Parts: sequence; structure tokens; C-alpha cells
Amino acid sequence: MTSQPQDSAGRQKGVVVVKPVVYGNIARYFGKKREEDGHTHQWTVYVKPFNNEDMSAYVKKINFKLHDSYPSPNRIVTKPPYEVTETGWGEFEIIIKIYFNDPQERPVTIYHLLKLFQSETDVMLGKKSLVVEYYDEMVFQDPTLTMTSMLANTTSLGVSTHKHETDFEEKKERTINKISNAHGKIRYEIDQMNEKLKRSKDAISKMKKEISKLEEGVIVDADIMS
Amino acid sequence: MATTSDVRDILELDTSQTNDFVTKESLMNDGKKKKLKKPDPAVKRPEGMHRELWGLLHSDSRYQTDAAPIVPSDTKQGYKQMKARIGSSKVRPWKWMPFTNPARKDGAIFYHWGRVADEGKDYPFARFNKAVDIPTFSDLEYQQHLHDDKWTRQETEHLFDLCKRFEIRFVIVHDRWDRERYKDYSIEDLKERYYNICNTLAKVRAPQGSEPKIKAFDAEHERRRKLQLTKLFERTPEQVEEEEFLMGELKKIELRKKEREKKQQDLQKLITAADSNADNRKADRKSSKKKLQAKELKLKDGGGITNPEPGGIKFSDFKASGTSLRSQRMKLPATIGQKKTKAIEQVLEELGLEFNPMPTEEIVTSFNSLRQDIVLLYELKLAMATCQYEMQTLKHRHDQLVANRSGGSTASTHAVSQYKSTSLGSFIDDIIGDTSVEVSYGGSSPNKRKFLVDTIDVVGTSSSPTKKRKAAIEQSNILKKIKQKM
Repeated sequence: MTSQPQDSAGRQKGVVVVKPVVYGNIARYFGKKREEDGHTHQWTVYVKPFNNEDMSAYVKKINFKLHDSYPSPNRIVTKPPYEVTETGWGEFEIIIKIYFNDPQERPVTIYHLLKLFQSETDVMLGKKSLVVEYYDEMVFQDPTLTMTSMLANTTSLGVSTHKHETDFEEKKERTINKISNAHGKIRYEIDQMNEKLKRSKDAISKMKKEISKLEEGVIVDADIMS
Repeated sequence: MATTSDVRDILELDTSQTNDFVTKESLMNDGKKKKLKKPDPAVKRPEGMHRELWGLLHSDSRYQTDAAPIVPSDTKQGYKQMKARIGSSKVRPWKWMPFTNPARKDGAIFYHWGRVADEGKDYPFARFNKAVDIPTFSDLEYQQHLHDDKWTRQETEHLFDLCKRFEIRFVIVHDRWDRERYKDYSIEDLKERYYNICNTLAKVRAPQGSEPKIKAFDAEHERRRKLQLTKLFERTPEQVEEEEFLMGELKKIELRKKEREKKQQDLQKLITAADSNADNRKADRKSSKKKLQAKELKLKDGGGITNPEPGGIKFSDFKASGTSLRSQRMKLPATIGQKKTKAIEQVLEELGLEFNPMPTEEIVTSFNSLRQDIVLLYELKLAMATCQYEMQTLKHRHDQLVANRSGGSTASTHAVSQYKSTSLGSFIDDIIGDTSVEVSYGGSSPNKRKFLVDTIDVVGTSSSPTKKRKAAIEQSNILKKIKQKM
């Protein structure tokens, strides 16, 4: 790593470190509306590392900004698990801001729409939790030297098995296939359309020639008549 | 305000020692006050002042050494000094005297007041009596050179007579033309005859080797000019209105034509882009192994998208240092516009794809390139719609021309059949009749397959083919009208 060129800010040019994360929320219906405050769900919003590692090695804190109607809507979590559990009755956008140990690296902001309601019966009845989670990657472009070492030296979380609710590997494969399929179709159509367009263009130019020929003819006729 | 000179004048005393007559100089000013003030050599341009600014302040300093006045001044030194000092000297005597005007042939004698000093001189206004030089011709000359089937000798002589009398003021000549005895000619005829004769005579009489001066007169041009003016003058208000309307329409048509030409150029670019797309595809097929290596290269590059933008979406490449989310790289740039965004969404939905798929590096890259191609397809469709419209217009024009011809000659039926029989004609009919831009794609898909293109809604084009057709017909009608007017 030390061989990498550094600029004045101590950044290592050309180094890219990628840290995949999973964020989202789980929610559970109470089964009825709570008397005292009208809340209907308990939910937990979270940010987890995609791989089994302790993010606190490089993450200083994560700020979950809830809806303003919550008491002290800025919830700061400094060590794993990075999550906030609350109850409520409505969906809103949670702003998740991830701060890093090196203050030179700007924080990363994720917007997550808290999901509570789904049409699936089991979830509706409160038997099963609703899980809405997304995969994303934090990309560290030209990180600072200190940040690089922090990113490299992560220890695994003590938990026995690190598993996500969603099978992202499978989803990834599926998405890649779908996209490449789709791309093939689109390209085929582009070619077809292009061919047709070319033919149309030729046709137009031929048509124009024909018309100008005819027009000349008309003019000649008119001249003869007059 | 009698001065001493007046008194002397009245008393008829000799005043020989005073200056004899008034001059302009003595009238306006005695000249003594006009001391030319020499420019003060002490006043120099201050250091650092621009020459131009100094010039403004100082070039007039011959008259005023002070700075240019800010407030209008009404001092003695101004222009008001120009007061004529009348009566300071002796007047020149006048006399009631006879004169003859050399411009008159009759030698009539008139009387006028004149200065004594001018007595005996020629009448000064006689020189304004300019005589026009009208050429004359002999019998021989007429017979040899000047004969014209349209004109008789008598008429020609009458013309020259009148020209002489009215000094080639042709309007009067035309007015006084003896219509009882001679044929009535227009002013242009008269002029033409006159100038032709003048030129012929000049040529004939010119000495060998010298170039005679030719009077230029284009009778045909004059006739047309007057006809045009007459036509312009005699228009009825309705005609004026119609003309204005037609001019407006013509302008519109030309504007549209320009627009279409611009689109044509864009189309060429688009086709080039699509061609390069096809090339890429072939290259992809050949070197799927190389793909991996390329991917590694891209990784080294920092994961940015290195593809050229065939479809015209430019995703931000995140080359700057710092942290970011991978999903940010899938964001459509704000410049893309609603129509394209909508087209992308429509196609993605049709394909069953998420608008924001899982952002791994590979997916982001391929997803972005997919959307670029969708935009390319959208643009192609848009261009196709334009082509359709143009063909529609051209076809209508064509049909009309053919119809016009068949009205005039029988040869046109041949032209019609020629047009109908060509594959070109049928292709055009095919495309025009096809509202959803869906031509048989050369048998590669026997069962009627649904095309993704169809999900794209090219706003305002594919939805109203009949409207377009109407517009095309209207346009050609107007063009026809304009042609007739000309």
C-alpha cells in the first residue's frame, strides 16, 4: 500500500476499497391499534455489513434521522448492531448518515423509506415480520492512509452465523441475467430499427428525386402552355 | 440711430476717406475684438491623463481656454455677437433698367431693379435655360438605319417633334400625342423608339474607332415593372389579406422544413451510433473471454463506466476522491429530461426489471449501458416517426404532382404505374400505413412478437398519424396556392 502515490491531502491515488452493506427495516404488526398512542407497528431500522466484519473499525457512528414527530429524532449509534427500534403508525423516510473514523472522509447518506404495510396475509396478521432490505456498496475512492489501514484491518463480528434475510447472491445472479437478456433484446431492436431507418432514409431521398423530376416536368409543361 | 456717415450722406458731403461699400466683414463685426488668443503653452496634458480625454477638454481651447462649459453661458463672448452693424457705410446704388433675356427668342424687353455696377452685363439667369439636344436625321439615314415596321415615318417625326417641344418629358409627349392621326403608343413604346433611334444614330455617326455613348433603356423591363406596380396597386383588400396569410404560412412551412433538415442530421448521427452499437455487439460475442480482462481493467480505472455514450446519457463517473454509494452511480443525470426518463421506465417495466436494481459493480455497469441503449432506441423511434411524417408529406406531394400531370398529358399514367410498381412505393406505403412503427422484420420472428419499442410512447407523434396526415395535405395545398400566385 505504501507504494501508492499520495497527494497533498494524504490520499492514495488509484486505491478503491468497496464495503458492501445491507440496510432496511423489519416491522411487525401489533395485531391491533395500541390504545395509548395509536401506534400499530414495532419496527427496527438497521445497517449491517454485507460480509461478516466489525464495521466499528472504520465507522465512527451512524445517525438515524427519524420523523420529526419522534422525541429526539436524531438517533446516534456508535457500535454494532447499528439499529434503532421504535413503534409507530406511519411510514416515512429515514435518513441514515454514516460517519467514518477519519474525519477527512465525508459521511455517506442513505435514504430509506420505512416500510410497515404489506398485503401478504401472514404479515398483515402480525404472525410474520415484514422485511424490506437493500444492498448497497460504500465506495472509498482514493482513501487516506489511515482510512485504508482501518478498512483493511477489520475483525469478524462475534456472531456465529452471519446471514441476511434476503439471499443477495441469488438476487444478484438473477438481476445480471435479466439485464443481459434485456440488453440483447434491446440491441436486436436497435439493429432492426436502424435498418428500417436507413431504408426509410433512402426511400425519402429517392422520393425527393422523383418529386423534383416531376416538378421540373410540371414547370416545363406550364412554360409550354404559356 | 443715425451715425455720422448717415448725416454726411444726407448732406451729400464727401465721404471718400471712409471705406466705400459695406462688406460682410464690416457688417458682421469690426474685427478688432477678434484677437486670436494664442493657445497657452503653459497648459499641458497632465501626467497620466488619457489623450482622448484631454482632447475632449482641450481641442476647443482655441475658442475657450477654460474647460468646456457645464451650464449654458450667455455672456458677450458667445455666438450672439453676430449682430449686423447696418448703416455703418455707404450703400451701393440701384437702378430701374431694361434687360433682355437671351433665353428668349423674341427679344422682349423687360425692366428690373439692378445694381448700377451690373449695368450692361448679361441677364444672369439666362444660363439656367438648358436646351436638350434632340438629334435630327436625314431621309437617307432614316431609310438606311431607322426603319421600323411598327412605326411610320410620320409617327417618328411626330415623336421627335413632340420630344423637342417638351424636351423629352415623355409623360407630356404621351399626353399630347396626336391620337387622331397616329396610332396610340404607350410611354414605353415612345421611349423605346426614341432611344433606339438616338443610339442607332450615335453608332452610325460615331467616327471610326471611337465608342459612341449608348443610352440604356430596357423597354421590356420597364413594361414589366409598371405592370407589377399596377398589379400591386390594384389588389383588393381580400387579396392583400390572402397574400399575407399565404406568406405567413410559407414562413411556417419553411421553418418546419428547416427543423426537419436539422432532424435529418441528427438522424445520421443516430444511425452512426446504432451502427457502432452493432459493431460492439459483434465484438462482444467474439471476445467474451476478453471481457473478464476488460473488467479487471475497469476495476483498476476506479470502477467508472468507460463505455462511450451511444444513447446520449452521460452518467457521472465519480472520479473524484472520497466516499460514495454505488447506487449513486445509477442515478440518471438531471439533464436527461422527463420524456426519456419515462421511456426508460416504460421499457424497464415491460422487461420486468427494477428501476433500481441491486447495485453491485457489474450490475451498475450493465444496467447503465442497458439504459443508454434504451435511450438510443427511443431516439431511433423518434427519428422513425419524423421519417414517417416526412414520407407522408412527400407522398402527398408526389400524388398531387402526378394528378396534375394526368390532367395535362397522357404520359403521366406511365409515371403513376412506375411509382406504384416499385418496391420503393410499396415500402413507403407500408411505413406510412404503419402507425405503430412495426414493419415486418424480415421473417426472423414468424409469430407476431411484441416489440419493446411499442411500449415507448413517442409523445405527440405516433399517437396522431391522421392529424399529421391532415397537416401534410394542408401544407401541400398552401404550397400549391403560392405557386399559382407566382
